[in-house]
Amino acid sequence: MQAADEELMLAYRAGDAAAFETLYRRYRSPLYRFVLRSVKNRALGEELFQEIWMRVIEARARYAPQAKFTTWLYTIAHNYLVDHWRKRGLSLVALEGDEHEGGAPDPADHAQARESLARFAAALEALPPLQREAFLLHEEGGLSVTEIAAATGTHGEAAKSRLRYAMAKLKAAIDDG
Amino acid sequence: MAEERDAKVSQHYRGLQALEPPPELDQTIVAASRRVVSSPGRHRWYYSLAAAAVLVFAVALTLHIERERPDAEGLSQAAAPQLRLERELRGVIKQPAESESKPAAQQQSKPDEVRPGIARDAEPRSGFAPEPPASAADALAAAAAAPQQEPAPAAPAVAARRLAERRKSEAPPQMQLRREETLARQYAPAPAAVPILAPAAPERPERWLERIAELRSRGKHAEADKELVEFRRVYPSYPLSEVMRERVEGR
Repeated sequence: MQAADEELMLAYRAGDAAAFETLYRRYRSPLYRFVLRSVKNRALGEELFQEIWMRVIEARARYAPQAKFTTWLYTIAHNYLVDHWRKRGLSLVALEGDEHEGGAPDPADHAQARESLARFAAALEALPPLQREAFLLHEEGGLSVTEIAAATGTHGEAAKSRLRYAMAKLKAAIDDG
Repeated sequence: MAEERDAKVSQHYRGLQALEPPPELDQTIVAASRRVVSSPGRHRWYYSLAAAAVLVFAVALTLHIERERPDAEGLSQAAAPQLRLERELRGVIKQPAESESKPAAQQQSKPDEVRPGIARDAEPRSGFAPEPPASAADALAAAAAAPQQEPAPAAPAVAARRLAERRKSEAPPQMQLRREETLARQYAPAPAAVPILAPAAPERPERWLERIAELRSRGKHAEADKELVEFRRVYPSYPLSEVMRERVEGR
């Protein structure tokens, strides 16, 4: 049975470096995708990604399991993104050259899927930042509405509304094809 | 949040490229996490070692100082008799002037009283007893024994005559005291006779004798004997009157 995220963070606070590495392995990919899909370019995304984890490391002494570890982690990430949004416009990472690896066996379906996926990516990029953030926190971070509200510093209804709008637009983009 | 999740949307989202952080970024973050955890321990270890080093240094320094002390103490122990004499002389010197009711001292014109001093001077002395040089003692003895000699200083001759006259008149103790003081001044040991270990001037003989007499009268014969021995070392040629001799020697 895997150790809970909060236990690992407390262990790291006590000096267990391996506990942090376990946490990092668990959430490095979701957080990476969350950050990269929230900013303009890959380099900036990676810079923010590193800063977020450095903040986690720095705050280990003050960590208290008052909320889920994921909520706390994505709260840090949200704060960094807000600073970023204030300085420059939010844009998705350019996916030029990124190939869809999903792969449908039928070439025709494959083309259709690619088109659908392209529309979806475009719709995701076109979402307002707060809606996109809500969607990514939900989809990538696995946060509930309540946790999204806590991470973004807003109330539950606002988080719920943002997520609903985001889902509706993305669904519409998929269905348009 | 299950009510907001849409399977189709999720599927499309998963269909996007699975972005992964590069390995070097992973290494940077993991290394930073290890550094933060390991450095406080290193600091604790460092400060503990530093405290232990300071303690060892302090103990070593203390031991070194303690080792140095016995040498000084050994010298002081070796010089204990000298120091003891010095302290005694200082104590004798520092004693307040006692009442000058001392019996008269016999004139050193009596050769018998001087010669023992001379004899003692001639004998090799032991310990750290201060003593005048033989030449000075001889000079004093010669001056006392032969007041009629031309080369002798006039003062001792005059003093001798005065003493003889006053003895005849049975001078009161006060005058005898004055005589003794005069003799003490005249026959005070030369500066060279001052004990090497006694930086201060020795006590005046009359006072010293009085103190010895007092010790004798109190029954402190051991102390009186000791003081008398020291007195004779300092003032080997100092003439003692019969009265004073009886008082200090306890005969």
